[in-house]
Amino acid sequence: MDLSLSPEQESLLTATTDWCRDALPLEAARHRTPTLWADLEAMGYCGMTAPAMGLCHATEALVFAELGRHLAPIGLLATAVGQRWVGPGHFALALPAEGKIRLFDPESATAAIGLWEGQAGLIMVPASARGETGLDLSAPMAMLDIAPAPNLIDDPRAALHLQVLTAAFALGCAEASRDMAANYAKIREQFDRPIGWFQSIKHMAADMAVRTEASRAQLCYAACALDDGAEDAAFHIAAVRQLAGEAAIANGRANIQIHGGIGMTDEASPHLCLKRAHLLSFIAPPSRAILLGDTA
Amino acid sequence: MDIRFSDEEQRFRAECRDWLHTHVPAEKRPMNATDALDFDKAWQRRLFDAGWAGINWPTDYGGRGLSIVQQVIWLEEYAKAHAPWIGANFVGINHGGPTLILNASDAQKAYHLPRILRGEAIWCQGFSEPGAGSDLAGIKTKGRIEGDELVINGSKIWTSFAHVADWQELVLRTEEGSTRHKGLSWVICDMHAPGITIRPIRKMSGQVEFAEVFYDDVRVPLANVVGGLGNGWKVAMSTLSFERGTGFIADQVKQAQEIEELLRTARTSGAIRDDSVAEQLATMRAEVAALRAMTYRNISTVIRTGQPGPEASVIRLFTAELGQRLKRMALQLAGPDILDFHYGDDTLVADYLRGFASTIAGGTAQIQRDIIGERLLGLPKSR
Repeated sequence: MDLSLSPEQESLLTATTDWCRDALPLEAARHRTPTLWADLEAMGYCGMTAPAMGLCHATEALVFAELGRHLAPIGLLATAVGQRWVGPGHFALALPAEGKIRLFDPESATAAIGLWEGQAGLIMVPASARGETGLDLSAPMAMLDIAPAPNLIDDPRAALHLQVLTAAFALGCAEASRDMAANYAKIREQFDRPIGWFQSIKHMAADMAVRTEASRAQLCYAACALDDGAEDAAFHIAAVRQLAGEAAIANGRANIQIHGGIGMTDEASPHLCLKRAHLLSFIAPPSRAILLGDTA
Repeated sequence: MDIRFSDEEQRFRAECRDWLHTHVPAEKRPMNATDALDFDKAWQRRLFDAGWAGINWPTDYGGRGLSIVQQVIWLEEYAKAHAPWIGANFVGINHGGPTLILNASDAQKAYHLPRILRGEAIWCQGFSEPGAGSDLAGIKTKGRIEGDELVINGSKIWTSFAHVADWQELVLRTEEGSTRHKGLSWVICDMHAPGITIRPIRKMSGQVEFAEVFYDDVRVPLANVVGGLGNGWKVAMSTLSFERGTGFIADQVKQAQEIEELLRTARTSGAIRDDSVAEQLATMRAEVAALRAMTYRNISTVIRTGQPGPEASVIRLFTAELGQRLKRMALQLAGPDILDFHYGDDTLVADYLRGFASTIAGGTAQIQRDIIGERLLGLPKSR
């Protein structure tokens, strides 16, 4: 039993953080460079658990938490799952709804991956699909007004894969909000002292840290359970999806509150994390029955 | 990264489980203080005789000297087997003993540690005072040096097991005119010494588990000072590093049992169909899992670096607040039958009322949040 990072994981994460700082600054999340997908592919972030790369889910999840912390393209979630369970390519993320499907990061994608009644599936992306701005300014979205039947992926682990990576993105998003809030509370002064001195602010920030600590530990455990093919892997993945999803929204909200007036503006970054958190809340949500341990 | 236990660890787990299976007493720990004391002492002696006392204590003083992972396994199996709470031995085993291991002289260790492990000596704590709660450095109880003795005057409060204790880990001011963290000493005080008066305090759960202790010219040999005169703050703070993040494992296993019990209750009564109940239960079940993951992660840090990370304070806060929400849910599911509660009943109502201690005793939830904000996030110190 060892839930600490191996030296290889540690160096991969350091390299990822360094790369993200230059290539994926959070403040620029709504204007990503056109070459980004090629760069992500070149860095090996698109198919870490694909047969060719063969890394474990635990390592992949930790890297995705870093990418998620920089609001990396949402289509990465689908692409990682696609390259593991379907084959090479750039995959858009499909969010099926009543009679329509939202596609995220559709441009240059040949197919889209999403969940249908909890099962992972694949639909074609029309060549005409263009990404338009939606709530999450970092996630170009196209609307399909028809709902084609998906080609289902015949392995329940594909859905678990999407769920654990979504949890990793949510954790990263919650950590970004936590750090933004803590850094601002150290420099913003009122009543002649940094606002982080006041317990009202400090305790809000502490709660943000509690949420991310719990989610990060559970993410490690859940990803290991998936790697081991453990019987309770689905529960542990649902648990981290639940906690990290809630952490992303709660921390996103607290970050705006701690920033005060500036936190409400378009110019400042806090809203980018909150909006991402709301988008994530619809991707591979946890099943209540699995969380409650219902035996079907 | 690996969540599996080694073959050797699994064998150790089976050994723990087998022994506990045949030896955990069938009867509950009695409610009455005198009977409870006899029960606690007998059970501790039984653990000692079978080699299960002091899993991580040094072998020189009667411990087993085993690894931290084995300690975790023992604590998990202990709670899973519904073995009794160690009760009156709690302070000696979890607090006084570890402090002595880290700070005491050989003579002090040789005398006290085996007696604690055998359940022969009951210890209590003497830290909090009426004017020194969260602000522990505000301690006013004084020890005046006279020859080779300390003459002690003052009072302590919220002292669990004071009325049954033989010894007390007493932190007091031994330097005239000193303030705050300076001039304090950690001494072993004989609870049977003349000049000590104990006034038991009844809790809102009806139990008498703690007391106020008054010292009126109580004489304690200077040889009972642990870690040197004036070093009391350092000695008191060292205790946490001994438990190294394992201090809440029993609580966590109990919480895992509680959530499954709540689910059974809610399914039987149909309360699970209430969406708000189902949602809370689902979240708490996820939180119970996360708590174990946090503990394993913290223990992994200890194995790698020798020290728990600052996230240990997160575990403490998370355990305390989750425990309270579980007890609150138990009450909600029980319905109006809770109104039939009387002092002396050992029911979920007593558990609920007693559970308020977890966010107050040993550092309030607010102090924990200060620590998390300051040490984990680097926010400016408010105190």
